[in-house]
Amino acid sequence: MTVTDAVVSMESGTRRAEVVRLFLQPIAALVLVGAVLVWAFSQDLDAIEVVTLNAATLLKSTGEHVLITAAVTVLVVVVAIPLGIVLTRRWARWIAPVFLGVATIGQAAPAIGVIVLYFLWTEQEGLWAAAVPLAFVSLLPVLRNTIVGIQQIDPALVDAGRGIGMSSFTVLRRVELPLAIPLILAGLRTSLVLAVGTATLALFVNGGGLGFVIDSGYKVARPTVLLTGAALAVGLALLIDWLGALAERYLGPKGLR
Amino acid sequence: MIKVSLWEFVTDRWPRLAAEAYQHASVVIQCTLIATLVGVLAGVAVYRSPIGSTIATALASTILTIPSFALLGLLIPLVGLGVAPTVTALVLYALLPIVRNTIVGLGGVDSAVTDAARGIGMNRMRVLTLVELRLAWPAILAGMRVATQMLMGIAAIAAYAKGPGLGTEIFSGLNRAGAANAVNQALAGTLGIVLMALLIDGLYLLVARLTTSRGIRA
Amino acid sequence: MPEQTSVGIELADVTKRYPGSREPAVDGFTMTINPGETTIFVGPSGCGKTTTMRMINRLIEPTSGRIVIGGDDALSLDADDLRRRIGYAIQQAGLFPHLTVAQNVGVVPGLLKWPKKRIEARVEEMLSLVGLEPEEFLRRYPRQLSGGQQQRVGVARALAADPPVLLMDEPFGAVDPITRGNLQDELLRLQAELHKTIVFVTHDFDEAVKLGDRIAVLGDRSRILQYDTPEAILANPADDTVAGFVGAGASLKQLTLLRVRDIVLGSAITASVEEAPSSVRQRMATEGRKFALVLDNRRRPLRWVHDRQLGGASLAGIGRPVGDVVSTQSTLQDALEAILTEGGDAVVTGPRGEYAGTVQLDTVVAKIRELREEHQS
Repeated sequence: MTVTDAVVSMESGTRRAEVVRLFLQPIAALVLVGAVLVWAFSQDLDAIEVVTLNAATLLKSTGEHVLITAAVTVLVVVVAIPLGIVLTRRWARWIAPVFLGVATIGQAAPAIGVIVLYFLWTEQEGLWAAAVPLAFVSLLPVLRNTIVGIQQIDPALVDAGRGIGMSSFTVLRRVELPLAIPLILAGLRTSLVLAVGTATLALFVNGGGLGFVIDSGYKVARPTVLLTGAALAVGLALLIDWLGALAERYLGPKGLR
Repeated sequence: MIKVSLWEFVTDRWPRLAAEAYQHASVVIQCTLIATLVGVLAGVAVYRSPIGSTIATALASTILTIPSFALLGLLIPLVGLGVAPTVTALVLYALLPIVRNTIVGLGGVDSAVTDAARGIGMNRMRVLTLVELRLAWPAILAGMRVATQMLMGIAAIAAYAKGPGLGTEIFSGLNRAGAANAVNQALAGTLGIVLMALLIDGLYLLVARLTTSRGIRA
Repeated sequence: MPEQTSVGIELADVTKRYPGSREPAVDGFTMTINPGETTIFVGPSGCGKTTTMRMINRLIEPTSGRIVIGGDDALSLDADDLRRRIGYAIQQAGLFPHLTVAQNVGVVPGLLKWPKKRIEARVEEMLSLVGLEPEEFLRRYPRQLSGGQQQRVGVARALAADPPVLLMDEPFGAVDPITRGNLQDELLRLQAELHKTIVFVTHDFDEAVKLGDRIAVLGDRSRILQYDTPEAILANPADDTVAGFVGAGASLKQLTLLRVRDIVLGSAITASVEEAPSSVRQRMATEGRKFALVLDNRRRPLRWVHDRQLGGASLAGIGRPVGDVVSTQSTLQDALEAILTEGGDAVVTGPRGEYAGTVQLDTVVAKIRELREEHQS
């Protein structure tokens, strides 16, 4: 991928900046969350604030947020990677642009719009009512990177694999997928960040999450609540992106690093 | 409940929808331009220093990680409701792709070319404006394109903080769930944003074609 | 296909026709490839030589025709099984970048479900065979190897399951000329040891001459223009196209195929350092020669002396030192080189550096003429 590709990515663009983030991002996340929590709980909280600003509610919201993010990620992985693999098979290649087009529109669509429409159409609420539309919105990075990751493999390697007697499935399993993993992981990281970010919107379909804390603070006009919810969401996003970066760095095949 | 088709809905409310679409596009484009100004200046300021580039890109990419709804939440107590938090948030989000691409683009200019430019008597400023930025332009433009794409979606959330644009229709549809036209409102808002995003993306391709020197066009 | 013994390959009327193109890519290709020999497909790019080779291991399925490998009908076997029993080496080696050298070499034995211990032993054996120290290279990744080393690993991988047949598709096409020369020498050494049936595709005729027991010069649609030994093709190209491909300097290339031991050596007037100049001069006069070769007391050539230089009392220190000498193992090209630099007959020495005879320009010319006549008939 070059810088002139019009593609949303979480990469910093330089290796050095990635290393800096690898060290500082989790620290920044913990310091931010810690400081805001200490600040919030050292205030004289009024009755309205206490409704949201208590350990149980914050933990529950954070837990819900993580759960929605996980559900979105699982959906994305389960749909996008197999779909990407199928779309790179010779017999299915012609239809790949169609799926990429749909996924591109999915990414161009505002997450809030997709969530609201899914809710209005299905009239479902809760975790999956948020996770399904968010997965659609977060699908593209993994799908595209799976396709590109497999397509960019030197055809001579696939040829060599077949030539020494690997079946096409063995070539996929032992040559194509391992070589595509770095790009798939980079896409997964972007999808993860999109998922954890848009999970704040789950509250609009009663899916809970940290968006609920932010929204409560906004509705009752209590900046303490608003800031606490936002800080927790930011901290969580930084941590999840950090996990994505770790995966990108350490899960790829060793010979390619 | 009277069912109205999307088409009827749109024609019926056209003046209002058109105004919201205009506001939406306008705030996104203006924010992209502000972010371009800030981002390119920041990129130019730091691209020669490895530490500066590292800090700038690390910071900008960390900001991009922040959920937009949370950023709005952080901004409301600081700058209030309406246009101010929208513009602040959008500009911040647009920074990463632009700063990153400026630095990578400027860093990718062949040093033989800049040497030659110095050699024929250009001063530092001219080398930057006549040579380096011209060669880095496709990368910068690509950064702007990515930024605009993202902002189109994020701007919809700004309606939550009373920001302008088509997000208003989506939230209104949500609030009036079950009522006639609720789906139409959400659909009009969402599709409107998708259409504008695709349209503006096409414009970017056109601009890229018109403004990139034919010598470096891919 | 029994292992270890050489097997031949029969291609009968093999045709490949791609859908949508009128002309077949390979048209009725019939050839017998001898067991244990290196057969080279050589021809211009796009002539279908690679397609033809890839039909042998069915990376490309023939449209029609028969391919028999060691008595088995290749087209009725399972294609993957077939390929596991045929070694395959390609340009730039095609090593899997995410696997170590050991894993790359062990891939085919792994596919054949060899026990782990046997694979490990085999991998080490193969690396030693291609001249790579196992201890040093086993755990490396391909990108940590030079181009030449990658190519060696590629050959080791192709040979790992001890296939009787080895297909090589321009395997040395992407390395620098010096490394290529070394790899070619190495392949010759390996082949002298292993006697595989090798089908080797190249567009480099010199490579074909150097490596091939037999060369098939292919034209459009893989038509066989000439299929013969390198000597025969060089001496007598079948038609103008082959002659054009063999190139100018065909006769010179022929000299690389002949050794000094293949020709009748001439003899010079020799003299030991102790001999009196006058007696040498007398012998030269009776034989009608102008030059004599002075040998040391172990009969190693020292200097050429002209009869005009023989006026003194001793042979010591006079004449022109012998520069380039050739051995009986040297090619005639080396001999010609020596003749040209020496400006006269080339001196041939034996195993211990002792004088064995001379090569004269006339002899070289006569040998080429003789070869040409032999292959003309």
